[in-house]
Amino acid sequence: MNELKEISQHVVEVARSAGADDVVAEAIVTEVKQVRFSNSQVDAVNSWSEEHLALLVAIGKKVISSDIRTLTDLDPHARALVSLAKKVPPSKTYEGVAPGRFKYRRNPVDGMIVKLRDPSRFVHEAIAGAEGFGANNVGGTFYAIHERVGLASSGGAVGADESTAADLSVRAFSQPEASGHAVCCTPTLTGMEAKKTGERAGEFASHARDPVMGEQGKFDLIVDPLFLGSFIQSTSSMLSAMRVEISNSMYAKKIGKRVASDEVTFLDDPTIRSTTRRAFDHEGVPTRRNVLIKDGVLKTYLHNTGTAKRFKTRTTANAGPLIPSAYGSAAQPMAFHPVVVPGDWKMDELIADTKRGLYINNTWYTRYQNYSTGEFSTIPRDAILRVENGEIVGAVKNIRISDNMMNFWKSIDALSRKAQEIYWWEEAAPPSTLPTVRAKQMTITRSA
Amino acid sequence: MIDEDLAEYMLDAASKHTPVLAEVRLESTSCMQLALKAGQVDTIASSQDAGMNVKIFFASGVGFSSSNVVSKAEGLRLVRQAVSQAKSARRKSPCTLSAEKAVRTSWEVRQKKSLADVTTEEKLDYLRSLDSAALKTGVKVQGRYYDLKDWETTRFFGNSEGSRIKSFIPRMKVESYNLVSAKGETEQSMREWAGSGGWELKDEWNLLEVLPDEMRMLKKQIEHGKRVKPGKCDLVCGSEVTGIAAHESCGHPMEGDRIQGREMSQAGRSFISEDMIGQRLGSKYATVIDDPGIPGSYGYYAYDEEGVKARPRYLYKEGLINEFLHNRETGSKMGLVSNGSSRAESYLREPIVRMGNTFVAPGDFEEDELFGTVKDGVLMNSFTEWNIDDKRYNQKYVSREAYFIKDGELAGPARKCTIEITTPAFWSAIDAVTKKVRFDAAECGKGDPGQGMSVFTGGPMLRLRGVSLR
Repeated sequence: MNELKEISQHVVEVARSAGADDVVAEAIVTEVKQVRFSNSQVDAVNSWSEEHLALLVAIGKKVISSDIRTLTDLDPHARALVSLAKKVPPSKTYEGVAPGRFKYRRNPVDGMIVKLRDPSRFVHEAIAGAEGFGANNVGGTFYAIHERVGLASSGGAVGADESTAADLSVRAFSQPEASGHAVCCTPTLTGMEAKKTGERAGEFASHARDPVMGEQGKFDLIVDPLFLGSFIQSTSSMLSAMRVEISNSMYAKKIGKRVASDEVTFLDDPTIRSTTRRAFDHEGVPTRRNVLIKDGVLKTYLHNTGTAKRFKTRTTANAGPLIPSAYGSAAQPMAFHPVVVPGDWKMDELIADTKRGLYINNTWYTRYQNYSTGEFSTIPRDAILRVENGEIVGAVKNIRISDNMMNFWKSIDALSRKAQEIYWWEEAAPPSTLPTVRAKQMTITRSA
Repeated sequence: MIDEDLAEYMLDAASKHTPVLAEVRLESTSCMQLALKAGQVDTIASSQDAGMNVKIFFASGVGFSSSNVVSKAEGLRLVRQAVSQAKSARRKSPCTLSAEKAVRTSWEVRQKKSLADVTTEEKLDYLRSLDSAALKTGVKVQGRYYDLKDWETTRFFGNSEGSRIKSFIPRMKVESYNLVSAKGETEQSMREWAGSGGWELKDEWNLLEVLPDEMRMLKKQIEHGKRVKPGKCDLVCGSEVTGIAAHESCGHPMEGDRIQGREMSQAGRSFISEDMIGQRLGSKYATVIDDPGIPGSYGYYAYDEEGVKARPRYLYKEGLINEFLHNRETGSKMGLVSNGSSRAESYLREPIVRMGNTFVAPGDFEEDELFGTVKDGVLMNSFTEWNIDDKRYNQKYVSREAYFIKDGELAGPARKCTIEITTPAFWSAIDAVTKKVRFDAAECGKGDPGQGMSVFTGGPMLRLRGVSLR
């Protein structure tokens, strides 16, 4: 790790010597092992190794960033980027890099994940677990991830970080249209409950047997953490100040206003034990617990140094990667580990208290008509269980939730006392710690 | 520069393990990304990437290993790792591959004006011109974000059967996000234009006219749009809506790996099964083709990631389920050969079955003829919110631009017209198709980790009789 820190420090010095005013260098080494499985057997065992340096340089307000896909012989790359920066037009909204020398927490790393040689055994355990609950077709993925980071900036930040994660996703079918989905996300291999995860997916698949066509209308929805994770993706993204700046968020101009029910407190907390615990953001600012929505009231957006200055506030240490993605800026503020604070309901109480509702395992394809107003629809998948007068009475299929996202958060009236870290594919992302919640009177539609 | 000797070295090393097949890919990409936010330069990023991968097939399993460190030592490590991973899979049913001819060739997409010769300032000027064109409309555009990405990729593919293929493909895309407001309401537009080729692509897109037209259209939708009275009526789909339906409810359910269950825990399965070839799914006007060979298209390729020559695939043909998309593994499972559908986002990802350019085949109607017999209907030119379930059976499209049709004539704007319909109901309702095919660029999502894949969607205008709208 110190080696990566030294590489970053050296690159900052080289870029500064070449004429850069501001520099942020982040050296990243990632090792990923993956097992893909379907039809209850392994399809492929994959691995990828990446080492690269994300580099941002600025001369005055002339800013450019680059993903340098090597960690050797970096000096010419750094000098070349500074030369390029001299030629680009200024970005009037550039506000500099985070100043300060920081102290960082040290995060524990699981040596068992780092040294893992045969990840397939977890897959076989999960398949057996699901089949034990009546599943006849099981698929999913297992990931083991080890990431090391070294960061330095001309503002004074110098740090190193390291993390490990193991993720298991299991989808089990008991019939062609009856399935259940469960995940296990853990920073240590001892926390990997493969068999139990398979059993949970199998149990959902068993409950989902013989689904009938769902009805249109208003229903109370009890949604699993996995389902909620899909909503967290778009919701947390709309809390980014960058999305607010371009009117691409239903949270624009809502600071201090009610955006959820009293029951909802929503955080971003990369400091807790999770697969996405991190010591600093991509500008080198130490991460912290940020309360974004407290008791239903919007408290702050997610900020980096630049957006914070433009919004006349302080960074929340949520600067994202220096290399932008689609519709994204360099260091665009992003959530690292969203958390919805649990409530005090037991699961059986939630169901017993629901007169006409649906208990939904998972969803996908959440899409918006208009991010600034929040109209959306999403397609529940896996177990959709009909609840009548406090009891599960059967399974349904072929429904869609067509409503408004602000309305969903305002309609939550109950949260489970247990929360779970979830991550699935790129739908329930980023990894988040979430309870089961109930939203009242949401609109269900279906194909005519 | 691609080191072909390194590929040979890795193939030699892999062959010593006597796999059913060994594949090696080497790749290098240069990329430039620019973004303009509310008229100001927001992002300038440039990157050079290079890397390689090895895929090993044994009867007992498949191993794929990749790295962005390019050296002999790393190549040898990747081979050993892929072999070890393949052996660890312990499959119950053996992995088989279709027999394919070994190919030695090279292909490239030429640029009239090289992307590398266009300065950053020129590219930014282009984005600025789009922004000012949108502003000059006088429409209140409160959200303005434009980005431009161009990238050139050189690849080398080799396998243990003797195939050796070199390729070069440049691509460019522009994405826009706009939020138009009027009368205290807003409408959103998120669009993409992309293709394979050079800087000349922007001239074909004509965005200096297209974007201002979009702003004016959205303003009209807000000011004059009326909601559709829920119920059954005729629907005319513009090519953008035709294209998304072709992609989502034909292309995806016809992917061989999805049908065989390999994507079951991510992108899902398919309502179509292997034994449904030849069954009727739509009217005789429903012919959907996937053709990676369209020159200049965003989904263009001449040979796929397994060295199989690309060709048009008739997925639905005159309403019948006709041909699935296959790679060597899925084709083999059905006793068929590959039809060249293996693609990967980059060397860091395993190649899987993907679409290229999916579109509805043209018919024989002129566009104005399509409305003549529509007494009461809607023209849905474009969409905003859309989705489809993971078996690709229930889909929904909400209009961005739509108009009422009354007695064969276009009437005023219809706002947020919504169709929620099953796949067979959509394709069975078509009774007329126009002559002219138009395409849109899109990023198709699939795989785990997700691989965004460049595709075209498209087609002519379609007329659907008696579908439920709201």
